[in-house]
Amino acid sequence: MLKFDLKKSAQHKPLFHFQGQVELHGVCAVFGDSGAGKTSFLRVLAGLDNSFCGALEWRGETWQDNTTFIKTEKRHIGMVFQEPRLFPHLDALGNLKLATKKAKNSLYTITELAKLLDFEPLINKKIQQLSGGQKQRIAIARAILTGPDLLLMDEPMSSLDQHSRQLLLPFIKKLSKKIPILYITHSMQEVFYLSQTMILMNQGEIESIGDPQSLFLNLNLSLAKHNHSGLMVNVQAVHWDDEFSVLHGLIDRQVVLVAMEKPLSLQDIQIKIESKDVILATKKLECSSLQNCLRVRIEQIEALPTSSVLLTLSTGSQKILAKITIKSLNELTLEVGQNVFAYIKAMSISALDS
Amino acid sequence: MLTELDYSAIILTFKLAGLTTLILLIISPPLAWWLARSRFVLRPFIEALVALPLVLPPTVLGFYLLISFSPNNFIGGFWLSLTGDTLAFSFGGLLIASIIYSLPFVVQPLQSAFVNLDKDYLEVAATLGFNPIETFYKVVFPMVLPSFIIAGALGFAHTVGEFGVVLMIGGNIPGETQLLSIALFDHVETLQYQQAHLLSFGLLAFSMTLLVLIYGVLKKRQQRMIHA
Repeated sequence: MLKFDLKKSAQHKPLFHFQGQVELHGVCAVFGDSGAGKTSFLRVLAGLDNSFCGALEWRGETWQDNTTFIKTEKRHIGMVFQEPRLFPHLDALGNLKLATKKAKNSLYTITELAKLLDFEPLINKKIQQLSGGQKQRIAIARAILTGPDLLLMDEPMSSLDQHSRQLLLPFIKKLSKKIPILYITHSMQEVFYLSQTMILMNQGEIESIGDPQSLFLNLNLSLAKHNHSGLMVNVQAVHWDDEFSVLHGLIDRQVVLVAMEKPLSLQDIQIKIESKDVILATKKLECSSLQNCLRVRIEQIEALPTSSVLLTLSTGSQKILAKITIKSLNELTLEVGQNVFAYIKAMSISALDS
Repeated sequence: MLTELDYSAIILTFKLAGLTTLILLIISPPLAWWLARSRFVLRPFIEALVALPLVLPPTVLGFYLLISFSPNNFIGGFWLSLTGDTLAFSFGGLLIASIIYSLPFVVQPLQSAFVNLDKDYLEVAATLGFNPIETFYKVVFPMVLPSFIIAGALGFAHTVGEFGVVLMIGGNIPGETQLLSIALFDHVETLQYQQAHLLSFGLLAFSMTLLVLIYGVLKKRQQRMIHA
């Protein structure tokens, strides 16, 4: 259990107020806009920022209160920063070895991590010779090698290439079964793929803590505006087409095709349909490459600031958002209650199997 | 050719410079660290005090040191009661003067290395479980090693080259306080130009080599290390 009530103000104006408690097992995502205070939150948990007052408790141990401040090096945490921060005077191996100096019991050895995170050939390279993704994988290994009780990760994937991402996401998920992880991210996909719990931050405060799905669907939260970009939809998996690498699935008994890497097993998945990738038509389109056509009903039309509108479309039990221009809206004379066809390219649907 | 006195002046000079550098390399890192990180109101005052030998005529420094080394004053009196020896016109006095005189040459390269050292690395070290002392030995010191070498070399070279201060407080006692620069001055005074040439050229070559090493190799290496 992590309990916190931490405040910071500047010139009598409150800057941050983090209050709440969360049972940490698995990955707990920390989600919110830039400037919401996500990084500040992780830094105060790590003990890297002593300008907060209030109380902080982890597994019954007081890390901070009016009289106590446990220093970072005594908190037994691992931290992965947004940028790799490898020591430039050491090679990759030197960086990793330094992390083992104070470790009591690490889950993995350097060799094991080198295999798991695919940096075996890089281990004797100078830091200056490594790419951003390679450095970050080594930085993650370094944090794990300290044998932490809690792992804090500040957008570790933000600057990574696809290869590193695909390697790291399943690894982090597996790792979180052994070490609880607090994980800052901007990516809805990462939230849904990795986490069972989510801390939602908004304007310097913890707005809500809960499971991601219910938080994203709660229109009272600041998350609602994120939904402009699209919603997560459940797809019932039916059949895997090996020839074309597509998954045939169902959304409310309507067929959808999702282009993705072969899943390990055929199971229901969550996909994100971006609102700008949805094409609306009042008649069926012929001779196009569009693979997915859903019959939907327009539930709501909302004007957006940038001469566009956001349409909420219902497939029955689930909702999809579509962002189109006012010009298109007028030319098609779309109205609430109307039934239309929503087309989505199979390629533009992103899926992460869970 | 060089006389025996010249050789003893050379040996004495290097002994003084070596000891001075050694002591400076012990006291300068904490001082430089404090100057680089502290927000204490009196910090600029302390910083100015350390830098004073850079701008002050060495004779001014020498004059004040000579006064304070007098057995009638606190420092000189204390030294006398402690060692039974006077500080002025002794090797001990030269050593203290050299430490003060060369202090900025050792402190400043270290201070600038510490200022340029990204705080991020210290944070990482803390998350790896290192306390501040361990962080200094395991992370800071190896990262700014070139600057330590630069600081030591500058301190050494500057001590070898001091003249004004030692003239004021050292007197000119052969084997005890007669240093290279003063021996050179004596040769010129007595028109022994051949020996003056030898000593001068030796000093010139030594200083030049050291500076080329510092600016050509070490500074670049430090840049590369810190801005990786």
